[in-house]
Amino acid sequence: MYQIKQNPVVKKLGFNRIVLSMVLIAMYCFFAIFAKNFVSYNRILSALNYAYFLGFLALGVTFVIATGGIDFSIGPVMFCAAIMSGYLLTHYNWPLWICLIASIAIGALFGTFNGYLVAYKNVPPFITSMAIMQISKGVASVFTKAQSVSWPQLAHENGWYRNLIRVRVGNMYFPVGLVILLITAIICAIVLNKTKMGRYFLTLGSNKEALRLSGVRVRKWQMLAYTICGLLAGVAAIFFVAAYTTVQPGYGDQYNNEAIAGCVMGGTSMAGGLASIGGTFIGGMIISILQEGILAIGLNKNYQLVITGIIVIVAVYLDVLSRKRRV
Amino acid sequence: MSRRNMETPVSLNKSITQRLGGQNIVVLLIVIGLFAFFSAVSPNFRRYSTLLSILDYSYYITLIGIGVTFPLITGGVDLSIGTGLICYSLVGGYMVVYQGWPVWLGMIVCVLCGAIIGLLNGVLIGIMDLTPFLATLCTMMMTRGLGSIFSRGLGIPWPMVGSEGGWFRTIFKLNIGDVRLPLGFLWIVLLVILMSYILNHTKVGRYILAIGSNKEATRLSGVNVKLYTIIAYVISGVFAGLAAIAYSAIFASVYPGTGAGFELEGIGGAIIGGVSMTGGAGSIVGTLLGVFIICILKTGLPFIGLQANWQQIITGVVLITAVIVDLNRQNKGTKSITTARKKQ
Amino acid sequence: MGEIILTMKGIDKTFPGVHALDNVDFELYKGEVHALMGENGAGKSTLMKVLTGIYRKDKGTITYEGKLVEFTNPREAQQAGIVIVHQELNMLGHLTVAQNIFIGREYMKGVKIDDARMNVEASKLFKRLNIDIDPTEKMSNLTVGKQQMCEIAKAISHEAKIIVFDEPSAALTESEVDELFGIIRDLKEKDIGIIYITHRMDEIKIITDRVSVMRDGAYVGTLISEDSTKNDIISMMVGRIIYEEPKTKSTVAKDAPVVLKVENLNAGRSVQDINFELYKGEILGFSGLMGSGRTETARAIFGADPKESGNIYINGAKVEINNPEDAVKHGIGYLSEDRKRFGIVVRRTVSENSTMANLENFMKGIFIDKKKENTETEKYVESLAIKTPSVDQLVVDLSGGNQQKVVLTKWLVKNCDILIFDEPTRGIDVGAKSDIYKLMNELVKEGKSIIMISSELPEVLRMSDRVIVMCEGRKSGELRIEEATQEKIMHLATLDD
Repeated sequence: MYQIKQNPVVKKLGFNRIVLSMVLIAMYCFFAIFAKNFVSYNRILSALNYAYFLGFLALGVTFVIATGGIDFSIGPVMFCAAIMSGYLLTHYNWPLWICLIASIAIGALFGTFNGYLVAYKNVPPFITSMAIMQISKGVASVFTKAQSVSWPQLAHENGWYRNLIRVRVGNMYFPVGLVILLITAIICAIVLNKTKMGRYFLTLGSNKEALRLSGVRVRKWQMLAYTICGLLAGVAAIFFVAAYTTVQPGYGDQYNNEAIAGCVMGGTSMAGGLASIGGTFIGGMIISILQEGILAIGLNKNYQLVITGIIVIVAVYLDVLSRKRRV
Repeated sequence: MSRRNMETPVSLNKSITQRLGGQNIVVLLIVIGLFAFFSAVSPNFRRYSTLLSILDYSYYITLIGIGVTFPLITGGVDLSIGTGLICYSLVGGYMVVYQGWPVWLGMIVCVLCGAIIGLLNGVLIGIMDLTPFLATLCTMMMTRGLGSIFSRGLGIPWPMVGSEGGWFRTIFKLNIGDVRLPLGFLWIVLLVILMSYILNHTKVGRYILAIGSNKEATRLSGVNVKLYTIIAYVISGVFAGLAAIAYSAIFASVYPGTGAGFELEGIGGAIIGGVSMTGGAGSIVGTLLGVFIICILKTGLPFIGLQANWQQIITGVVLITAVIVDLNRQNKGTKSITTARKKQ
Repeated sequence: MGEIILTMKGIDKTFPGVHALDNVDFELYKGEVHALMGENGAGKSTLMKVLTGIYRKDKGTITYEGKLVEFTNPREAQQAGIVIVHQELNMLGHLTVAQNIFIGREYMKGVKIDDARMNVEASKLFKRLNIDIDPTEKMSNLTVGKQQMCEIAKAISHEAKIIVFDEPSAALTESEVDELFGIIRDLKEKDIGIIYITHRMDEIKIITDRVSVMRDGAYVGTLISEDSTKNDIISMMVGRIIYEEPKTKSTVAKDAPVVLKVENLNAGRSVQDINFELYKGEILGFSGLMGSGRTETARAIFGADPKESGNIYINGAKVEINNPEDAVKHGIGYLSEDRKRFGIVVRRTVSENSTMANLENFMKGIFIDKKKENTETEKYVESLAIKTPSVDQLVVDLSGGNQQKVVLTKWLVKNCDILIFDEPTRGIDVGAKSDIYKLMNELVKEGKSIIMISSELPEVLRMSDRVIVMCEGRKSGELRIEEATQEKIMHLATLDD
């Protein structure tokens, strides 16, 4: 085992990520064997639809968890952004591209508010998450008078945004969304590992006081992590409506958990200071395949909730154990 | 304190104000103030039926609030109570409606399910050292899924009054002649008294308070910290089970997939009622009053022309405000001690 | 004096790399107050931890009440009647005094905790001790002194026969100390043996019968308090062979400018009216006992803790320092005494730790210039002889000395002109120690200025050009290196008149 871990190729790719990729492949094979039609291209596209918005959510929350915090308001925030910008589009006839920007801005705003409370007011992150979860749901339903919002279909003049996830080329669909998600993940990885901001996030998560005593304005950076997380939730909103078009106020909770699950599974430590964007990406894919597969073998969505819950518990427990051994 | 107190046994008969605690008085005044405000603005609010509906909708929130007070006091949290209560109600109701179990057995199933999930939470947190919010976030998700799986995704109508087994609804609302009595409130009061007693006068309560105050010092005093942490979560689970009964009795049907957000009202009520976010302090009466604030807001806002959705926003804001107030109070209180400690 | 209650003979304890206790003997009579003295790290606390079962001894015997004993945990010792009143209070702030005293062994009435009885019993205890505390008061409402009294009451309620006080007076006011002494005299009369760890010379005469001195993990000797003078004790405490030649002459140029001036600095009880100047190219030693306010002064200057009042001048210009960011901007670096908590970021690499304070200089556009970061760090790894396989090693895997060097590297990379070193050699091995000394000398030669806080007198005398001594939050004296001796510093650090 040790030798495998020390192998230079393995080291470069990361042992954890290799194991995860194998899990992903194994899971795909499992469903391919036991579920009908699972290997069809349509199934893959459908799984990807789920992977897009979940991927963005998970990428965002990775930044927050890297700083040692948590944000489980991202699901409802995503819904809030999708609902409000959709309402602007359909009821007030705002131009589509402004609505897309509005969606991102709404997400970023909630994230910043969240970060402000955590960083400057010392409110525990799980409290702010709970409160913002509630507030974002409330804001969305007040804004639309509790009605659901349907974004336009592809045929509609404002439907081009749906091409963000797939484009018809001849009689095949090309998954544009996957390309965008990959590019975003690469940018996130660069930000986390190669820029000052990412460095500060990780250091902050490992030892906030040491960073403060090095003369860094930690509160600002801490808040920024939540802003990024919110911003990506706003992006996720666009991909959610591009895939499903209809959004209803009052929902979105379950996606928090799935995003966090993907992130934690990917090797990001809940204690902060260790994060892997690549891991999060694969983790998000695993969750998406899982949900598609569970539907494909004839079980309903609820099994996925239970299974994801168990996965998170196991992943976090392994993290706890590895930390204990270290100290 | 005077010398005299050293010689005579110290009497526990403090004044009512002291017993209730300053914070409780403040919260009580807010409850009364809110009530007065809504009554003054809206004539409809003054009706007896409004009072009844406030009470009806308060039972299950109060129950999970009382329960979650215990994990909160240990310095943890239990997020699984909201989806949990729906899950337990679905499981119990399924047994009654589709399997023909007697209602009393269904009620026991509710409480038992709560206790099991509470135990699971306790083990994850007390023994496996998972962070409380993460562990309970997972059980929140799992109870949501399990409830739906169990009920086959269908809503479960617990028996109505008049039908067989419908008697259980009268536990919470009893009609004598034309007058509806909020009988549930009586049970709530009794439970508040019981849990206050447990919190303040038994080992369970004492050690839960001690763990929240200083876990390591409590451990060094020879207290089985793991056990009492687990007990705190089991209490929370059992009360979620009781809340499931209250919920089933008030609403005609229980639907899978609901329940997320209830935990916020319970936790919010407890924190508004004076449970410290950092653990170690809290009172059951405070939680009761805190929950009432939320329930009055929830019921009252539509009366002054705000949609019910505003209530979500207001709960969120109230929660954050309560925590910030609590943190500021903590800072003031501990400043003298920390500076003295730093000396060493 | 009564009969012997406790004899510890030939106690030996080794931790990895440290011989903490070397063949130590100790003896206690019933009704005796026996002081245990020695510098920080002399082994007093370790000896007491061996006695109370927190540590297991490697060799030696403990005879308690005529029987050989071996406690494996603090509870066993407690049940046998040996109790320690910790310096750090183990209190449960939200519970009442009585509830604290009886935590874990409540009086019961069926399932109900008999609080009334606990209050009565606590009252009785307090009455026995002649102290005035309301058992129903919340613990967090008491002063630190009163909380300490409660700890003592808790100790006595265990039917203790031996009570160990670990620097009980450190956080007490004068009148509280008087009260404490009253209690100790009472306990003495009740034939309880008392071990009293202290740093305060003046207390020896007032309260103790005998005093035993430890040094470098070894037992030095025991004196009768009445017949001994402060000088006797001090010379026993510091009598080690100084293998490091003290500096005899300041190396600071006569006309060196003042780089840092601190004026009337106040920050709580630990920092009162501090005034001093730091010259270019100087190593200014800060000496004093633990808790004398040296670290607090440093943190206040650095902006890590808020200050109440005071002015700071750098190179003659007044500056505002409200947070560490300001301090770093003005070229001050602070090496904390608590490396783990405030220094290193254990889950990150050596190079990431090194550039933490100065990331701006390692940027290439918006990206971190990893190559530059590594080459710069490698330079220091080499010059400071940091033992690490590579600069990409996680800091958690390095030894204490090397971790310390990494934190040092951070400030060297930042190129600070004023460096505050708080216990720079605490808990690191001899080799790393002399590396750090060498480095400090090189730094001042380059024109940097250093404030060095240290509890080790030989270190202070070897490195400093000037020594400031602190005592109870105040500056109690300032010595030129030419006139400084261990004895003089000790006198200033334990001001008693």
